[in-house]
Amino acid sequence: MDSAISAGGWVCLLSPLAGAVAIALAGGRISRRAAAWISVLTTFVAFGGALVVFVGLWAADPSDREHVSTAYTWLSAGNFDVELQILVDTLSSTMMLIVSGVGGLIVWYSVGYMEGDDEERRYFAYMSLFVFSMLLLVQAGNFLLMLVGWGLVGLASYLLIGFWHHKPEAVAAAKKAFVMNAIGDATFALGCVLLIWSTGSLEFGDVFGQVDSLSSTTVNLVALGLLGGAVAKSAQIPLHTWLPDAMEGPTPVSALIHAATMVTAGVYLLVRASPIFEAAPDVQHLAAIIGAITLLVAGVVALVQWDIKRVIAYSTMSQIGYMFLAAGIGAYGYAIFHLMTHAFFKALLFMTAGLVIHHLDGEQDIRKMGGLRSIMPRTHVAFAVGGLALMGIPIFSGFWSKDGIVSAAFASGDALGYTLYVAGLLGALLTGLYTTRLYFAVFRGEPSEFVKEHAHEGHGEGPRSMTIPVGVLTVLATIGGLVVIPGVWEPFLHWIDETAEPLVQATVAEDYGTSAIAVSLALIGFYLARRAYEKGRQFVTNPGIWRVLEHKLYFDEAYDALFYKPAAALSVALRRNVEEPVVERSLDEIGSGTIQVGGEVGRVQSGLLRTYAVAVAFAVCVLVVVFVAVR
Amino acid sequence: MDGPDVGWYLIVAAILFGIGALGVMMRRSPLIVLLSLEIMLNAANLTLVAFARQQGNLDGQIFALAVMAVAAAEVAIGLGLIVAMARRRVPLDVDQASALRG
Repeated sequence: MDSAISAGGWVCLLSPLAGAVAIALAGGRISRRAAAWISVLTTFVAFGGALVVFVGLWAADPSDREHVSTAYTWLSAGNFDVELQILVDTLSSTMMLIVSGVGGLIVWYSVGYMEGDDEERRYFAYMSLFVFSMLLLVQAGNFLLMLVGWGLVGLASYLLIGFWHHKPEAVAAAKKAFVMNAIGDATFALGCVLLIWSTGSLEFGDVFGQVDSLSSTTVNLVALGLLGGAVAKSAQIPLHTWLPDAMEGPTPVSALIHAATMVTAGVYLLVRASPIFEAAPDVQHLAAIIGAITLLVAGVVALVQWDIKRVIAYSTMSQIGYMFLAAGIGAYGYAIFHLMTHAFFKALLFMTAGLVIHHLDGEQDIRKMGGLRSIMPRTHVAFAVGGLALMGIPIFSGFWSKDGIVSAAFASGDALGYTLYVAGLLGALLTGLYTTRLYFAVFRGEPSEFVKEHAHEGHGEGPRSMTIPVGVLTVLATIGGLVVIPGVWEPFLHWIDETAEPLVQATVAEDYGTSAIAVSLALIGFYLARRAYEKGRQFVTNPGIWRVLEHKLYFDEAYDALFYKPAAALSVALRRNVEEPVVERSLDEIGSGTIQVGGEVGRVQSGLLRTYAVAVAFAVCVLVVVFVAVR
Repeated sequence: MDGPDVGWYLIVAAILFGIGALGVMMRRSPLIVLLSLEIMLNAANLTLVAFARQQGNLDGQIFALAVMAVAAAEVAIGLGLIVAMARRRVPLDVDQASALRG
């Protein structure tokens, strides 16, 4: 059984890599379709591997659900070894299933979405590379290997955001995403260095075993470093500005990387490194506070956006805020649970948005949409399911996970817990508002002129390769939450608890009480948004506030003024005052000085052989005298 | 040890070296310059052999043989150059071959 689990883990990890390499090496020798199907197939093979691992672990004794498989020693320096090893336990096997499963569906969807693009092969090679990187991140058995996966997903994200490199905005967005992520990568790496310095190891087991013996300063610094990485990767305030811009990439990329998997890597890190964060409770609470702030700010900003994908992007930030909140108060099971249900319904929302965009020839502005319900009935149902799950309406998956997080905040007690609780409930209201606003603007009402122009009869809602994955995700978004019913059966939570023991546990009464409040708030949000839609109004009527929100609270402008402008001014000043007068002029001086000296010295070279002979003889005589005299 | 003291040999070698050096420095014909060089080399050879005899080992003599071989090669090249100069009607005067003037 052990060998099957390890083999499944390696197959899962390496299959997408093989796909990416095969597509890259085959190049023009295979058709675009073939490249697409290689990518789909290898991702589903990875899903098969993940299933083997999951079933193997499920069947195993609970005490035997942690398997480390080492390929070889990758790096060895004195007593410090880093091995190329994968760790499969309950947490990573769950993540493997989510990444490869949802990833496979989205790659499949891409087959239809990207059809006809000039560079499909490149796209699918990048997609496979991304799936590999993400699997490496979740399967890594030590912090260094995780950091490698961490960097690789950033690279894949950069490549895919800038996939349409003829669009200047896409290239700018890709660079922005890379730079913001690099900040997080740097703090993560610093945390790792500190761990090597203080514990002499990067292996999860070793490190977590030694956490208690470390000084509190060290633990706090390490936790801060890891939190910095998580905040950047998961687009939390203040390193969130890259995510909305990342919507310049193809829509399946937004679904896979910027909703379902990569952006949740931060949550995975918080849960995986929970022993470190528990030893640094202040930092852990900071994570919860960051999550709460992000979920509120992103929810408010989502109210005023006009781009269909940007609204969903802000909603993603907001939902990841919930996950950070959960991980920050120690409700690890619910953090991963919400990660999973969010992967289902957010991927679904992005994919239905992709169907709409595909149908309307690339239009993303919701002001031009409307009335699509009659034109795209099946897409409408899928979007509605995604929206209901996002709002947390009972039965749908988001209901079980989000309310669990909010009630855990209540159960954790004290001032912080209650504040987070209120923030979570306000977030539920905001979610209801922006989701309903988006739904009504796109699907309800009479078809707009623009829609009538572009929606031709017989166009269909999309090719089968797009509609089947959407169908599967619709089912998952509906029933995917039924693995946790508080008080009745909670296998999912127990499964995650084996890896990360939760710090808080809400009672059943708290759970259902919170649910009642959250659902009524979401319904109030729905009602308000609907009334506003029917009256043709927006929620934010004050033009000043509207402007502030439309500029996303001026984060970009502030960073521009705080970091970019001073750095650029400093560069210009250095160029003018140091580079030009000092460096360049001194180089000129060295050059012309050498030429001048050469001219003077050149006169010694008379070209007369006999003069040289005299000079040699004279020099020898001088040397002899010196030699004798010195001795 | 038989024969004159090593000092005498050194005096003879010094005189020979001086003659050679003066020849290199003062004469203008490349042929004579070459000849003077040979005299200097042989002066050096004489000291080598003299010291070898005084020390009672063969190192100096072997080294003198090596110098002779080098000298022979050098003469071959030098004479070749002079012949080439004569063929191209370059004046046989080292003072006029001053193309290396800086």
